[in-house]
Amino acid sequence: MTCSRAWAFVIPMLVLAVARAGSHHAFSPVYDEKRLITVEGVVTQFRFVNPHAMMFMDVTDKTKKVVKWTVEFSGRLNLMEGGWTPDTIKPGERVTVSGNPTHTGSQRLFFRRLTRPDGSELLPTGAQRLSAIEEERLRRASQRKQQK
Amino acid sequence: MLLKWSFGLLVLVMAACTSAPPEPKASPSQLEGMWSDPPATAEGTFCFFACTEVGLDRLNALLDDPANDARPFPELQAEAGKHQRENYIRPRLTDAALETYPLDPADDPGFLRCEPWGLARQMFAPHQVEIRQRADDRIELRYGEWDALRTVHMDGRPRPAAQAPTLFGHSVGRWEGETLVVETAGVTADITGWDFQHSDGLRVIERFTRSADGDTLLLTATIEDPWSLREPLVFKKIWRWAPDQQITPYEDCEPAEEFSRGKGQ
Repeated sequence: MTCSRAWAFVIPMLVLAVARAGSHHAFSPVYDEKRLITVEGVVTQFRFVNPHAMMFMDVTDKTKKVVKWTVEFSGRLNLMEGGWTPDTIKPGERVTVSGNPTHTGSQRLFFRRLTRPDGSELLPTGAQRLSAIEEERLRRASQRKQQK
Repeated sequence: MLLKWSFGLLVLVMAACTSAPPEPKASPSQLEGMWSDPPATAEGTFCFFACTEVGLDRLNALLDDPANDARPFPELQAEAGKHQRENYIRPRLTDAALETYPLDPADDPGFLRCEPWGLARQMFAPHQVEIRQRADDRIELRYGEWDALRTVHMDGRPRPAAQAPTLFGHSVGRWEGETLVVETAGVTADITGWDFQHSDGLRVIERFTRSADGDTLLLTATIEDPWSLREPLVFKKIWRWAPDQQITPYEDCEPAEEFSRGKGQ
């Protein structure tokens, strides 16, 4: 499993664990945390707002019909911590997005990963936090071994 | 005569210069400024909203057990969170509160109707809190989440007898050394950040302290409510010093249109 694929599984767990720690904006009534889906299309709008940023995209389905999809993100307050700006995603970009689908199966998902044609990726800001925690855990484990 | 006056003046100046310097007076400057999400540590992340000593002890026990080294952190975080919920929060809830505990997230009025949070959630809100002294008699706390503003009265003024409960209630603050202590009552009955309902009998004591290195702000909050709690609950929360951050508008909340009940917890 590649690093980015591993994050795609672990980050939703972090988001959910944080959400369970105290009610924030409800995630679980809308999105299925256990499933990931992927759609490819062209960005029509990226709204860098609170409480949740939103992206709208045109996705061409198997019948060549263009379907409007909505992608929900963490809020601007949260994304700014990860260095995101209103221009991080631009209208007209072709992107592939993975995320949690809705329980109802509507054309909407919660962002977990965005991949551009050049292979560059955007991940939730939680990835940086998780990376730092894993380094902390390695230090703890090392200290534990030294104490023995 | 001139010599006598000069000698007296000299004595006064010497007395002023040799007396002990005045005790530094606690002031909001120690806490004043912008604070944001906690450090990217295991403890900071576990206390992202708020946490308890019971939960932290459980998390540290899990992290210190070599058998858990290969388990993802979010899994350990969830396990410690469940331990905290079942062994600390649930046993302290009254039968009345247990009837609806844990609340279905789909019943959250903030989610359903974009209704701003009450104090029992706002005080633990993620992201920024900006602390500013606005006058000698008041300090303001502005939260990034909901762009919410709280006033803490520093002149000890009592809550007006006829004042109906409000979302944030009536807060009175004082300094205990370098700790800002804020006592709040008169809060509208609402839901807490811990998925249980509370009454307008809620009382909260918050203690804000800056760490010795100045990098973090620690909140210890004690919550009492005779309707929902058998005994007080004590929560901790951590913010990181973030002077470069800004609170941005919070005006695009959209009421939920599609959701399912029974999917939470």
